[in-house]
Amino acid sequence: MDDEERKVHEGFMREAIKMAELALVSDETPVGCVFVHDGVIIGRGMNETNRTLNGTRHAEFVALAGILSKHPISILKETDLYVTVEPCVMCASMLRQYGIRKVYFGCWNERFGGTGGVLNIHSDPSVDKPYPVHGGIFREEAILLLRKFYVQENEKAPEPKQKRTRELKTEINPMDVHAPKSMKSEAEKAKMKAEKVQVNGTANRTVTT
Amino acid sequence: MVSLRGGDETLTSAFAHLDLVPRKGRLVPLRTKDEVRASLETYQAYVVELPSKYAGVIKDAIQRALPDLKTADFQHLRRVVQFKFLPPHLQQQFKSPRGDTEPALDDAEAEDESAVRYFLVSPTSAIQHADLLATLRKSPPFTNRPPRIFYVTVPALAPTSAEQAEKWTNQFWPIAYKNTNPYGPHPSLVSRNTAEIEADAGHLLALTQSAANQTSEKGLGEQVGCVVVDNSNGRQEIIALAGDCRWRSPLGEAEPKEGQGNVMAHAVQRAIAIVAKKRLRAAGKDELILDRTLFCDTPLTDLEAQVFEVDNIARNGYLCVDLDIYVTHEPCVMCSMAILHSRFKRCIFGTRMPFTGGLTADPVKGRVGENVHVEKGLGHGIFWRPSELNWKLLAWEWKDEDAADEGMITNSISDTLQA
Ligand SMILES: [Zn+2]
Ligand SMILES: [Zn+2]
Repeated sequence: MDDEERKVHEGFMREAIKMAELALVSDETPVGCVFVHDGVIIGRGMNETNRTLNGTRHAEFVALAGILSKHPISILKETDLYVTVEPCVMCASMLRQYGIRKVYFGCWNERFGGTGGVLNIHSDPSVDKPYPVHGGIFREEAILLLRKFYVQENEKAPEPKQKRTRELKTEINPMDVHAPKSMKSEAEKAKMKAEKVQVNGTANRTVTT
Repeated sequence: MVSLRGGDETLTSAFAHLDLVPRKGRLVPLRTKDEVRASLETYQAYVVELPSKYAGVIKDAIQRALPDLKTADFQHLRRVVQFKFLPPHLQQQFKSPRGDTEPALDDAEAEDESAVRYFLVSPTSAIQHADLLATLRKSPPFTNRPPRIFYVTVPALAPTSAEQAEKWTNQFWPIAYKNTNPYGPHPSLVSRNTAEIEADAGHLLALTQSAANQTSEKGLGEQVGCVVVDNSNGRQEIIALAGDCRWRSPLGEAEPKEGQGNVMAHAVQRAIAIVAKKRLRAAGKDELILDRTLFCDTPLTDLEAQVFEVDNIARNGYLCVDLDIYVTHEPCVMCSMAILHSRFKRCIFGTRMPFTGGLTADPVKGRVGENVHVEKGLGHGIFWRPSELNWKLLAWEWKDEDAADEGMITNSISDTLQA
């Protein structure tokens, strides 16, 4: 990917991050996305699982519900997705069934990622056409947003009886979003370990005070 | 019109109202991804023939020679075995060079304490044959005579049921079964849960078919339907019911059936959204939050409306925790993961979808074209992958009593449909 191309992708990912930031201030897991057709954003979405009490209202669903009310489903064959966190197994399968052209994402999700983080739903055998993925665009920023959210939610809901709510609110653990297993270098693993301790430390402090 | 009342009614009386013909058959627990893997993996191991009184000595000698050997890795294999407990093919292989059926030691030794035993040394990957021989030659009784060393194939992982242990004992090597299942739900958990749901499962699967029929008759979807049930803490409530609506346009009309349709309107997705709406209503919140016509999360048939209207969802509940979901067909990968995200307790489906289903882990005979039979399955086993995914649940497939060909799928919908 040359410089000019990279700038284009980063521009769209920047828009996806704006959606994730909107989720963060709305007490939703900060994941955001935009769908791009012919260089134009045709839909935006952010995670809405907490507000709707529906664990499947991920950013991709929310955006597509808007897009498909105005456009025929066939437009997705010429549409790319930019999402701050790797699509989960569910969304990865949905996107493939709809025939998405390509998916660009920020950080990998090792807890339920569907395009490399855990499973390879975008490329595994299926009756639907596979799609290419490109991960790692503004990875650190995507992780930072998740980390902010994790700390924010722990500060807000320290009571044990609200544990279940908190479970959903922080459904993507910032410790679980990094590079895919296959790509991880030893140095990176060590770094992750250090980060893990740090994040855990922060969380524990806020819960006990 | 069928009628379904909720509230204080039990499931049984609700079924009576519906005039349902229950499916006759049985529930079969799904095998997990790890169970399938465990049932297939084997490795080569060394076995040495020795007099039983030397078993301890040789065991110690091996442990000294191979300090890194993790005996925990083959705890499911009996370490020291008598000739008569060996599977037939090994008795054949181990019998004495003289050609009789008794082992190669002196006849006098056969009945007493020093009778022959077969000692499972280690995986062949742990030590070279020559090094093993050298190690054994340093220890009695092999200081005077060379040991007989054999190669055997053994299951790599522990069995997950008593039946499997017995099968392997006959097929490979004597197996110890500890009534546990490291690769899936504990057998007692599965049987307890099967007992809890089996009385109503045939009825509920018939009800999923009614749900499917009502939307597909309107041209809105495929013949896929599902029902969400609360069958916990003494409650028996039908919480949500939904038919597939993939061919419903944003304006609510039946669309031409091209491509995969509106994927978000699969029956499972709709049912989960309807559960969420009931929760919002029970909490006194606006149930029209993020209402989008593409989600198809409002009732669209008589049956769906009847179930939706009843305020029977438990207070203080969370997502679909403690709820069960019944589906006409094995859910696609998207819907399987939606079930996991929603943290259902149990999932029961009526028919496997070998080309598209996300729950099963093992292949099954499927039909390709007219009459070619192939082993087919995506192998994801999404219901139980606790080390990778964020939730796990129990899952069953239904086997009809009068199924024509055991293991063969006879399907009301296209094999390649995403349910
Ligand atoms: Zn998702
Ligand atoms: Zn589905």
